[in-house]
Amino acid sequence: MLRTSLAVLAILSLSTSLVQAQSAWTGGDDLPTSPLACDGTPATPVAKPYDGGMTTNAPDRNGKPITVVDVPKLIGIGYFDATSKGIAEAAAELGNMTATTDGPTEANIDDQITLIDNYITKGVDGILFAANDPVAIAPVLKKALAAGINVVGYDANSEPDARQWFVNQAEFNGIAKSLIDSLVAETGADASFAIVTSTFTTPNQARWIAEMAAYAAACHPGLKWLETVEAQEDNILSFNQANTLINKYGDDLKGIVGMTSVATPAAADAVTQAGKCGSIAVVGLATPNAMKPYVASDCVKSVVLWNPVDLGYVAAHVLRAVADGTLKPGDTTVKAGKLGELSVINGSEILVGAPFVFNKGNIEGFDF
Amino acid sequence: MTTDHAPAFVAKRTGLVRFISTYGQEVVIAGAIIALFVLVSMVSPRFLSANNLNTIISGNAYIAVAAIGMSMIIITGHIDVSVGALIGVLATISGTLATAGYPVWIAWTLPILIGVGINAIVGALVAYGRIPSIVVTLGMLSILRGGLVSITGGAWINDLPPDFHLAQQRLLDIPIPIWFMVVLTVGAFLWMRHTAFGRSLFAIGGNIEAARASGIPVERRVVQVFMIHGAFAGLATVLFATQLRIIQSTVPPNLELTIITAAVIGGVSILGGTGTVIGSTLAAILFSAIGSAMIFINVSPYWLRAVIGVLILITVLIDMARRVREQRSAKR
Repeated sequence: MLRTSLAVLAILSLSTSLVQAQSAWTGGDDLPTSPLACDGTPATPVAKPYDGGMTTNAPDRNGKPITVVDVPKLIGIGYFDATSKGIAEAAAELGNMTATTDGPTEANIDDQITLIDNYITKGVDGILFAANDPVAIAPVLKKALAAGINVVGYDANSEPDARQWFVNQAEFNGIAKSLIDSLVAETGADASFAIVTSTFTTPNQARWIAEMAAYAAACHPGLKWLETVEAQEDNILSFNQANTLINKYGDDLKGIVGMTSVATPAAADAVTQAGKCGSIAVVGLATPNAMKPYVASDCVKSVVLWNPVDLGYVAAHVLRAVADGTLKPGDTTVKAGKLGELSVINGSEILVGAPFVFNKGNIEGFDF
Repeated sequence: MTTDHAPAFVAKRTGLVRFISTYGQEVVIAGAIIALFVLVSMVSPRFLSANNLNTIISGNAYIAVAAIGMSMIIITGHIDVSVGALIGVLATISGTLATAGYPVWIAWTLPILIGVGINAIVGALVAYGRIPSIVVTLGMLSILRGGLVSITGGAWINDLPPDFHLAQQRLLDIPIPIWFMVVLTVGAFLWMRHTAFGRSLFAIGGNIEAARASGIPVERRVVQVFMIHGAFAGLATVLFATQLRIIQSTVPPNLELTIITAAVIGGVSILGGTGTVIGSTLAAILFSAIGSAMIFINVSPYWLRAVIGVLILITVLIDMARRVREQRSAKR
């Protein structure tokens, strides 16, 4: 009996230590991390062969005027209004591209497929899309490629071989660096902070936290992570959890990092109502609309995300480059107008660049 | 009258025994809260700081307020799974009114009336349409949730006027949410115990045929209790919507389940007929106390769900056992 209990205890302690070994910070996953250089030098892309699709019998479009349809996940929301604004901006700048945006009114994959199918029948030169479902959208995109139409995705990918290129708004390590750098800019490099996330197993949040831990260990070793708390996607629970962190750590707590658009504003509200603006920094991932009141009151200095206008702008430039034949499988960079030379990553993706930091100076220009 | 044992109807017993047998669940939960406070404060004295007590007690106040109405519904022998979505819709209405320039008191009170109106329809379908309440409220859940997303388009309200934030105010240095919770709980408790209307809810949930035979207008009462529940959902919305400076177009996931759980752990029999709103309010406080304790003593929040799950099972088992025992003694 005693022996059995000891064995059970041993196994239990082993399994807990294994769990601890997985990520430096609770809430991070155990996948390999690739922290960026502390000074922001772009990482050398890992060479990976082109894995995108190919058009069949596409006509020579080099320099010729082209018609492009942009099919976002849905229309009528600020986020995709911003991407289509970027696309229109690029089209106006290029001069030889006519772009229209047409998407489903709800984020519905069936409507999106029907819409794309209609445009294939109607005949366009290029399709830009943000997929509602990476797998379900693949057949109709392959049909477009087979009809000689150039296909480029942005925001939400499809299976790689169903499109030619995908414009990736931000990588996990880039977001992680931005969050930690924004935190350190406010609290100093030796501060203690806590994280409010949705759940420990939410894939994107877990990836970001693991990358944050790796980047902080490499570049800000003095930074002290206290703990990570879960708050689901629940605004009042996020507020309560942030309050409890403030109550628990008192003056030792110098920063809170929110990992979702629900957690970050709620944490900012907790800090505001506790009268701790200025002594506890709140940084986080969130949409600008969720953070405007807190940025306006100076309680939050930086909100990390990406710029959807730039995302659409790059997508349009990439489509033009593919149509012109200046972006070919195997290339490592592409020119994207005013944003300059961008890198190709993961075989057939283009990285827009470092994440965008919203602050008091620019946040009012965004509505999503 | 085998299951008719509302607090007010308990047969003559004396003093403490009678109190504990009537309010057993409430006593257990209050004891659990006190035990938790004592144990955690030994590890971390800051747990009992005024700020943290405020966080714990006011943190789930909106759940406690909604659970008052839910307790009445369950005691009457029904259920409402749409209340989370209703709170979301009412919060958006409240925020929209406030940003459109209406006086804040209209933004606070109109959603309460709308909650009453919507639940009058639900209650009528249940009572006169003879559709089970779970079916009606499941339908209402889809309507409200779908309607909310299509009308708001997922947009959040972030330009609320400063005087809108009632839940951030204090009266006599006590946060408004605590006032709401305490006054409404005590008021509802006394009303259910000491008025004919209140007692009829226990009678309907305990034995509907006996209630009808004794002259209670069952259908009308069911509609009325749904309307009262709608009012409490509206009052919960006032706290929910005014706590933060933004109103989201989504509600906390599983909010209706949290509210139902508070009622059930608080001692409201899921089969109807018994329970008090003191219990459901104590349960809501217990949840936030456990959540806070988990952070203070560094226990994984996964345990919170496990602990609440165990509490539900124990409560339901005790309820079943009590019923079996009472049925036996009734046969004797």
